[in-house]
Amino acid sequence: MSARTGRYLYAVARGITSNDLTGVTGLRDRPVRGVDHQGLTAVISDVDLDEFGTEGLRRNLEDLDWLEEVARTHHAVVRAVAALAPAAPLRLATIYVDDDALRNRLDEWRDALLRALDRIEGRMEWSVKAFAPADEPEPSPPDATAGEGAGAAYLRRRKAAVERQRAAGDESAALADHLHLELSRHAAASRRLAPQDRKLSGHEGTMTLNGAYLVATADVEEFLATARELDRSHPEARINLQGPWPPYSFATLEDP
Amino acid sequence: MSQPTEAIYPRSQRSGDLSAIRPQPDSLADVLERVLDKGIVIAGDIRVNLLDIELLTVKIRLLVASVDKAAEIGIDWWKHDPSLSSSARDEVLEENERLRRRIEALESES
Repeated sequence: MSARTGRYLYAVARGITSNDLTGVTGLRDRPVRGVDHQGLTAVISDVDLDEFGTEGLRRNLEDLDWLEEVARTHHAVVRAVAALAPAAPLRLATIYVDDDALRNRLDEWRDALLRALDRIEGRMEWSVKAFAPADEPEPSPPDATAGEGAGAAYLRRRKAAVERQRAAGDESAALADHLHLELSRHAAASRRLAPQDRKLSGHEGTMTLNGAYLVATADVEEFLATARELDRSHPEARINLQGPWPPYSFATLEDP
Repeated sequence: MSQPTEAIYPRSQRSGDLSAIRPQPDSLADVLERVLDKGIVIAGDIRVNLLDIELLTVKIRLLVASVDKAAEIGIDWWKHDPSLSSSARDEVLEENERLRRRIEALESES
């Protein structure tokens, strides 16, 4: 049992051969290789089933350090493949017992995979996030020794602060909608992802937009120019642009 | 590695964020968001429900927008947390009431 290995599937690509993957390193420093099947190439590396079997995964996924390392390696391999050819990234921890099992699955999903690759060919994903400034601090509560009326004054200040925050929230939501609409004009497809939790991302302020945009290579300059222009004309928001990403948010098996 | 892009896209004076095209490694939040929540889902031979795992569900919940969606994919740990769940809170209130009555009874006996 301890010597058993499985095939960890990172991505399915079209138009590459196993040779193109020479030098790409996967999980636990094992070499990445391609399994070619009917015009598709499954990008895999071997993994020990002690670590990546049902029991191992159940245990290891509890460990955020383990998860981070595996997620980053998974992402690095996907990034390397997506730089070579149209590639559909798999979700983390998709593992088969051998090449035959993997080929069977590719057979089953071949048409849907080809459609997904058609959608993302020649396109990459860009991420644009917008942040509203952090909320203003709460007014300090009244001093217990202060004279009568201090409590009422405090409540008035607090009510005004809440009103201002609500208005600011409405404005930044409207701005996020506007940014998304403008950016989407230059994208082949776009999606709004859930705002990230700052406990994980560490950002300041409120994330009002977490947009993903599938942009054709030919349209990238225009898309970036639009993003820069929006950034310039909206000093009230902080805008963050990242990319290109492999098309994680768009290489889906169902039509978006 | 950021120099060439910096040159093409000069840093914005205000935040610098927009023009920093690839200045730092992808953030963990961005990577997890994509490899756990996006990407193609095809069943593997190793059946592990990613969302079945306790610590991980807490972390993933940070990535999930709405409570409805979280419940839909089976993340409902807060239902069992007395400080968060209304049914658990009701139990605590009932217990309080029982204890209060018992104290009253004991005090009236003495």
